[in-house]
Order: sequence, then structure tokens, then C-alpha cells
Amino acid sequence: MTALLTTAVGSYPKPDYLLKARSEYTQGKLPRQELEKRERQATEYWVGVQEGLGMDILVHGEMERGDMVAYFAELLDSMKIGGLVRSYGNRYYHKPIIVDKLKWQGPMTVEMWRFTQGLSEKPVKGMLTGPYTMVEWSFDEYYPSRREAVLDMAAVLHQEAVELSKAGARYIQIDEPAIHTRPDDDFDLAVEAFQIVVQDVPAEFHTHICYGDVERIYPDMLRLPVKQIHLAFKNSDFELLELLERHPFAADRELGVGVVDVHNHAVESVEEVADGIRQTLRLMPAERVWIEPDCGLKTRTVEEAEAKLRVMMEATQVVKKELGID
Amino acid sequence: MAVEVEPRLQPVEVNAGSTILTTVVGNYPKIPNRPRPARLRAAIARFDRGEISREELRQVEDEVTIEVIGEQVEAGIDIVTDGQIRWEDDQTYIVGRLEGFRIDGLQRYLDTNTYFRQPEVVDAIRWETPILVDDYRLAVANSPKPVKAIITGPYTLAALAQDKHYGSRRLLTLAIAEALNGEVLALQAAGASIIQINEPVILLRKGDFPLLAEALGRMLQGATVQTAIYTWFGSVEGIYPQLLELPVDTIGIDFVSKPENFTILTSEPFPKQLGFGIIDGRNTKMESAEYIAERVLTLKEQMPGQIPQLYLNPSCGLEYLPREVAQAKLARLVEGARLANKQLGLQP
Repeated sequence: MTALLTTAVGSYPKPDYLLKARSEYTQGKLPRQELEKRERQATEYWVGVQEGLGMDILVHGEMERGDMVAYFAELLDSMKIGGLVRSYGNRYYHKPIIVDKLKWQGPMTVEMWRFTQGLSEKPVKGMLTGPYTMVEWSFDEYYPSRREAVLDMAAVLHQEAVELSKAGARYIQIDEPAIHTRPDDDFDLAVEAFQIVVQDVPAEFHTHICYGDVERIYPDMLRLPVKQIHLAFKNSDFELLELLERHPFAADRELGVGVVDVHNHAVESVEEVADGIRQTLRLMPAERVWIEPDCGLKTRTVEEAEAKLRVMMEATQVVKKELGID
Repeated sequence: MAVEVEPRLQPVEVNAGSTILTTVVGNYPKIPNRPRPARLRAAIARFDRGEISREELRQVEDEVTIEVIGEQVEAGIDIVTDGQIRWEDDQTYIVGRLEGFRIDGLQRYLDTNTYFRQPEVVDAIRWETPILVDDYRLAVANSPKPVKAIITGPYTLAALAQDKHYGSRRLLTLAIAEALNGEVLALQAAGASIIQINEPVILLRKGDFPLLAEALGRMLQGATVQTAIYTWFGSVEGIYPQLLELPVDTIGIDFVSKPENFTILTSEPFPKQLGFGIIDGRNTKMESAEYIAERVLTLKEQMPGQIPQLYLNPSCGLEYLPREVAQAKLARLVEGARLANKQLGLQP
């Protein structure tokens, strides 16, 4: 029996040498090849960390991605990178612009997936940004309606999922952090688009939803055609479990439980994390629960990220022992 | 949405009223893009690291404020704002300077991909000293065009705050309104000729309209200057025509996010000034001058002899756009207004 499988949500922090390389590359001081060499070096590092900790399903860590939307926008001719807009405080990002009909032109994530899978016997997840989030976090100068843009984006991502699956990816995670932006108007559209992405692709699909009003789309989110839904539990000290008390999680789905907070420098204690897992297990059987951080760890330092993963793994072992699972 | 545009070459025979003017809804992008330097971003980062003083940061804020007033004027806007350059977000800048609030963690702002710090009400709310008066004075001294003062309204501030003191939305809203009355009177004493109150959140909770009306009445007690209320990101269905009863001179409505607002508006007589939010403040796609003029002419035809003053403006603040696109959109808005004035036979 597999139970309490462990994985990560997607991104890891970039080591200093990679940050430096990215900045030099942007300024035209470093050739593309050199940058890619360091991206691979950093990826190998994170595979080593995850294997060393005994994690079950690995992620490649997104060393080649700056931002989960811009990464894809840069690779698509139908999108371009726009000017800076403010996100909050003194934080700005380059918001992409859809400028033409969205079309898949070639694999965007397969090479890095294949490289990473070549480093480990453990399965490595394919990582995509969902169609609704891709469109919602971009300007659109081409489509007359959001619906048309989202559905075309879904077709692009479907082709990418097909390629990942063909390359051998057994697990594909599709992140939709923007899915609850306009739930009354757009939730059906987001589900429809998600269905297009996964249609007839022989892989196990997971999704990760974070930020904001998760309450507003539960239990609606159970309509998403995925095996696993991952939510950030630790950030609100497991308050989200109340949702599962009010409306049980679908019996054919698995729950990804975020057990360490990615927005906090402080590293949780093993006991605190184990307790979060125990609370979850009052509502969900262990074989349908996956243990993960709340979100991508890229905003932490390398040391903090590793420490949080280590605590997560130790706490999982503690609970497994209590349950008599090896 | 795409709207078919037929060119109209001759002045249209409608009761056109006074010249159509252009304005903005509030904020303006704080930093330009390369090759222009992002001075404010760099200054805030240096201030946060303790490398420059509060006064040095203030100096940069002043300079950037003057710069963005200049950009609005250059685009041809008739009534400008200070761009809200100093504002951390629409809530924090006001409530962070009132007594009784604490500023808490990040929250998504309405249906955008931007975040604000959620205010927490922890004590009785009081207005101690003017918040916007110095900003207003600096703007007026550096603008050849009239400047309007912007205040986030009491209903929106209350609705987006977490109340740990009053225990009732009504009491909290009215307490904020009371406090902001001090600001209104201080701005008025400083010579402000137009005071605009932004109340986007009422469109999400229309059942609270009577509370909004009561709060605005209190906030504007003693106000003798021109006043406006602006809303965005929603339909006015359900609170229209009641909006017309508010004690303000101008009503601002977003016709981009909800095009049906056009039909709702034209269903009733409109005796007030209208802020016609007609270009998209959230998308980089450029509207044409012809499209803007066409919307104006259609409005004028459907509402003959009404809307004593029409202001054209973006659908919301401009901070969702890169700086250069924001300015280009304003220039286009002005072009559209000129075309409409010409077609209506009005003097620009």
C-alpha cells in the first residue's frame, strides 16, 4: 500500500551562481549555452537533495523559469513580454501580452523534464501552468473574449501535456493559482479548459491552487478532472480542513496537503508538522493523502528550503511509524 | 468587446450640452520602463535598506509626482490627479494615517492580480491630522490643469478591513466617514476644487447601498466644493438610479468591465455629471479615437438634453498598465474627446 507519498509543489530557490548567470545573460554578458549549463547544474543539485531526503515523486525545481506565466509566454510567438506593472508594495513584474492566435509550436518543458528524469529512478513530475492562469495573468490584445483566449490556451497546453506523456511523464501537475479570481463568472470556463488540457492524455494529473479565496471554490473544485488537488494548509494553520468537514473530499481523489509555510522564514518543528498531518488524517485516509510544502519554495533561501523539506520528511516518517506504515 | 464603428463626418444634431472634458480615475503607474530609470522603485528599495532618509525618499516621490502630472498634461487631460504616487495601495495610504488601524497581511484586490495589505480595526477610529493636503498642494503648484483630490471612500475601506473593534459594519463605516469628514474639510480649506471619493466595493455588496448613502452624507457634511463618486469593475444594476441620489455632483461608472452598464444608464434620466469610463484601464489593447467618439455620440443621442457635463476617463486607475501604455491611452482618450466635440459641434 502506498500512503503519505511525498513530493514538492514545483519551484526551488535558485542558487547564487544561477541568479548571477541569469542576470549576466539578460545583460548579454553570458551566452545561452552557459546559462543552460548552470540551470542543469542547479537541477542536479535539487534532484540530489530530494533523493537524499527520500522523497517519493520529484520535481525538477524550475531552475529555467523566472515566472510561471512569463516562461511560457517567452516561448510562444503569439505572446510577448510587456512592460512592468506593480503587483503590490514595491514588487513589479513584466506582464505578458497575447498578441496573436495562440498556437503550440514545439515542446516547451520536455527537454528539461527528460534531463531531470535521466538523473533519477524516482518519477519526476511534468509541470505546467494552467490555461486560466496563463490568460488571467496576461494582457490580451488579440481575442474578443477571455473565453476564446482560455480555450485556445488550453489547446496549446494539451499538446504540451501530450508531449510530456509521450516522453514518459507519469505525473503532470497543472497549477491554477488564478482559478478563484472570478469564480461566479468563470469557474465553469476554467473547468472546461482544464478538461481540454488533460483529455485522453495517459498521465496522472495533479493541480495546485493557492492564494486567496479557496473557500469560494470548494466543493466546486472537485469538478476539476484531476487525481490530486493540492492546497496550502499550513499557511492558515489547517483552517482549510473545516471545508472538508463541511463537505467531504471526493472519494476518488487524492489530497495534496501543504504542511510547511513557504512564506515564512522560520522552519517548522517536526512535531508541529506531524500534528498537521495527524489532523488531516482524521478526515482523509492515509493512502489518499500526499505530503508536500504549501507552494513552490523559490522565495526561500536554499538553506531554508532544504530545512523545510527535511522537517516535512521527518514528520511524515513519524506519522507513518505511528500508523505502522513502513 | 468589438463595436462596429461608422464614421460620422457631419456634426450630429443632438442637444449636446457643454464641451466634453477628459479626466482620470486616480492612480498612475509609478515607474516607467527601460531605458527610463525606475527611480521610485530604486528609492523605496534604498529606503527599506536604510540607505536613504525619509526626506530623501519624499524628494523622489515629489519629483515623480510632478513627472506624472506632466505626462497627464502632455496627453491633454483636462482634470488631472497627483497619480497617487505615494500610495502603497488604495486602502493603506488613508487608513494607515488614521488612528485605530493596524496594517496586516496581503489580500488579493478584488478580481485583479494585485494585492493590498488588509487594514485591521483595533481601536476607535480618529482623524488627527491631514493626510492628503500636502500632496494636493504640491500637485496644484505643479499643474497647469485643475487637480482633483482622491479619497478612498468609507464604505470600501470598511468592507476591505477586518473589524476587531466596532462589531458592526454600519458603525465601522460611519466611524470612517466621520474621520474622513476631517480630511474633506481640510482639503477644502486648502483650496481643493474637486474631491472624488472612490467606492468600487459597493458594486459587490449592493444591499449596503443605504449605508453608503448615509456614510457619504456624513463624510461630505460641510463640503461646498465639487464632489464625485467613482466605481469600477462591476455592474450598477440594482443600485441605479439610486446612485443619482447620492450627495455628489459626478458619478463615475466603468463601462468596459460591464458593457451592460450602458443599457442600464440609458434606461433612466441622468441629471448629474457623468464620469464615462470608456477605455480599458486593465488591458494594453488600444481603443481608437473613432470608437471613443462613437460611444459618446450614441450616449448623447440616447440621452438628449441630459448629463449636463460628460467627463471621459479610463475604466479604472491606470496602475494595472505599464506607464507608457497608460500615457498612450490617455492621449487616445483626448483624441476621442476632440473628435466627439467636433462631431457634436462643441468647442474644445
